[in-house]
Amino acid sequence: MMEEYTIGLIVALIAVIITFVAIFREKNDIHRLIIADLAEVSALAVIALIATDLAEALIIPGLVVGISELLALSEIYLVRENLNRPVKHPFRIEVLDTAPTIIAAILVLYGIVLSGFTGGVVAGTGMVFYFMGKKQAERFALVETVSGYAWAFWIVAFFIFMVIPEYWFFAVMLAGGAIFAKVTAKMSLIGTMRGEKDV
Amino acid sequence: MFELASFNVGGHELFVLPFGDIVAYFTPYTATLFLFALIFTLICIFSKPENQVDVAFGTDAIYAKEVTGKDLRFRRFMSIACGVATMGAVTSGDIFNFTLFVSMVGICIIGIVASVKYKQVLHTAFNYGIISMLAMIPLFGGAAITLASTGTLSIWELSAIAPAMPWIAKALILVGVMGEGIAPFYVAKAELTRAPGAPYILMIHVSSLLMFLRIIEIMLTV
Repeated sequence: MMEEYTIGLIVALIAVIITFVAIFREKNDIHRLIIADLAEVSALAVIALIATDLAEALIIPGLVVGISELLALSEIYLVRENLNRPVKHPFRIEVLDTAPTIIAAILVLYGIVLSGFTGGVVAGTGMVFYFMGKKQAERFALVETVSGYAWAFWIVAFFIFMVIPEYWFFAVMLAGGAIFAKVTAKMSLIGTMRGEKDV
Repeated sequence: MFELASFNVGGHELFVLPFGDIVAYFTPYTATLFLFALIFTLICIFSKPENQVDVAFGTDAIYAKEVTGKDLRFRRFMSIACGVATMGAVTSGDIFNFTLFVSMVGICIIGIVASVKYKQVLHTAFNYGIISMLAMIPLFGGAAITLASTGTLSIWELSAIAPAMPWIAKALILVGVMGEGIAPFYVAKAELTRAPGAPYILMIHVSSLLMFLRIIEIMLTV
């Protein structure tokens, strides 16, 4: 086991060395940012090599920290290069006007059947596609409110698990429905990111 | 129950707070660091920002730079977050939590100067951010190698089986902390400090200093 771990570690370290050489040779800032993100993936690979449940629990915070640094740096890059104007000519083809309603309806229905986190992702994909296709002003406040209440219900379900475990079935249904609404709402916001004001 | 095996670095533990196997603790050494971070966070909460004045060279004219409104609120929030992350890093009793807090300090340092609209400040913040992203590899790599070779991340257990932590893991974590705590060297280039707003900018120095002091204690204990 230790032997395989050593081999994996050597491979990961070679990947790290390659990224470091790349980042020192690269002069373009946006490319350096992307390479730094690749380097973080190799850091996660080093953690993943341990291959236990604990390693899995360590990867998630590592990933979150990495993504937040990436987001912060991209935001700084956008401000520095004055890239905060909306796109003038968004991508339009005819199928984007007709298809989204049907496909979004199918995906949302299938998502409701699945429920829970997976269902939320499926329905959210449908919503992303819908909002990307339809060009209209969305009611962000409503979507955010739904998402906030859904999160609160999710937490309430956890408290039911801990305090009155005999009502576990109700709590499962509550948590499944709430996380479905929450993930759908959050993902649908991605489809509306067109660079308008306050988005 | 909880007793540090080698107490000649930080002294005997004063207070221990176990969350399962993650045990936060204070020794006289880390308690001092914690108090320092706490006092500085309180200063950031209650003080008003300085109003920086630039002299237009060769004339009598001056420019006053004021930090107000949204900018002020954001930077105050980020420096408080930086202080809280520093306090977490100095009290943490777990190698991985320590590395996470160190990375959080790195993010907060970027955040403190991110809302400043001067191009050279943003440029320096961006370059520091690249370094701090790269520093996460040795940080997490060191923690992962520690876990793989000793089977634990707790400073308590590592100090009990004292020289168990491999020197490569120690070296990697040290390099990582140096990468995250390199912000004052950018300050030495006088770019980050051109950002107006004194108590918030100084949080960068304080957090990096405390990070270095804490990593020395960890390296000598485990």
